[in-house]
Amino acid sequence: MNLTSSSSSSPSPSPTSTRFTRALGVAALVGIGWLVLFGLFLSPNDRVQKTGVRILYIHVPSAWLAYLAFGVTGLSSAAYLWKRTRNLQWDRVAGASAEVGVLFMGITLVSGSLWGRISWGQFWTWDARLTTTAFLFVTYIGYLAVRDLGGTHQQRAKRSAVMALLAVLEVPLVHFSVKWWRPLHQNETVEKGKLNGLMLFSLFIGLISFTLLYVWLVIHRQRVLALNDQVDDRGLDLALAARREES
Amino acid sequence: MSEPTDSDLNLAPREVVPTAARGKKKPWFAYAVLVLALGAGGLFVAKFLTNAIDYYCNVDEIGHKSGCDVGRNIRIQGVVDKDSIEKAGAVTNFVVTFHGESIPVVLSSKPTGLFQECIPVVITGKVVDADDGTQYFEGNEVLVKHSENYDKENKDRVATANGEAAACSQKG
Repeated sequence: MNLTSSSSSSPSPSPTSTRFTRALGVAALVGIGWLVLFGLFLSPNDRVQKTGVRILYIHVPSAWLAYLAFGVTGLSSAAYLWKRTRNLQWDRVAGASAEVGVLFMGITLVSGSLWGRISWGQFWTWDARLTTTAFLFVTYIGYLAVRDLGGTHQQRAKRSAVMALLAVLEVPLVHFSVKWWRPLHQNETVEKGKLNGLMLFSLFIGLISFTLLYVWLVIHRQRVLALNDQVDDRGLDLALAARREES
Repeated sequence: MSEPTDSDLNLAPREVVPTAARGKKKPWFAYAVLVLALGAGGLFVAKFLTNAIDYYCNVDEIGHKSGCDVGRNIRIQGVVDKDSIEKAGAVTNFVVTFHGESIPVVLSSKPTGLFQECIPVVITGKVVDADDGTQYFEGNEVLVKHSENYDKENKDRVATANGEAAACSQKG
């Protein structure tokens, strides 16, 4: 990502793709193809959950990617607020990452709900992990709404950066909720080495391919946000030019 | 005649002429989403404080731990004992054990999910004193609390699995 480009000087919109992002997109697609192959066909059934275990290969990577995305939003927001690195590009990375994080968090909630119906016998229950995850989800929806409240780009960047730094504190709360309280949700599996062989490999493929997809989405989205800012800035430039012609 | 400067410009608002294809965002939509998110967040906090912190009592805590009182509507956790599941019409009877303490359960709803012997479950209901002086749990809902262990389905391991199942009610 080019973090030094200016938003207002470019006379015409540039494409959001490059050779690197096209290669990245292809790699993400190949990874997702592998995930489908291993997750649906090559990995074995679980002894207890049978074929229901396959939701794991979507649910866990999407949850981890949501954590990563919200972490990146927090770091980018801190970089914007710090005077030595203050640049609107950090704000756009933060916004793009939050949007993709909300997408992955939504996938986590939907896949978890389906998995819960299969294993627990219920789509939803108010246990600590589920409740804190839902809270994290609406917090970042609120963050995205705060970004759209209007004002200058700098005002948007400053207020959303402050909110992002507060919101990211919820991520450890969600992750450790299974340790700190008594949830219906299971405890950690990967950290405790309770997943092996092709099951672990399929999960690994899910993590890699979702990470590639995340990077690809964030790069494109932050470039679209930069173009949106350019359009806003050009609108002002054009209005000033029209008034100069009048006088 | 001097050149006009920017300070001479008439900056009074004019009729808005679109300068780009992108439509102007409507802040009221963002405010509406923000209000909805705040409302949902408040609901989740309330649910967390009332339901999520102590989602259940372990079987060995019934009658001993605050909030796990006899006669009160609670959730209990334990492992379903081997060979304890009996269906009697609309009712399912089984025994759950945790840390060596057991309690019979009379469940009025149909068990769903992965419900089976030797699996951890969370049951909603209340502890009732029976006529013979013993206690049982009158349950109206059971949820399966699957463990963090994943193991591939393999015929070679059925014997091992059966061995584990036989001992399940002893573990708790």
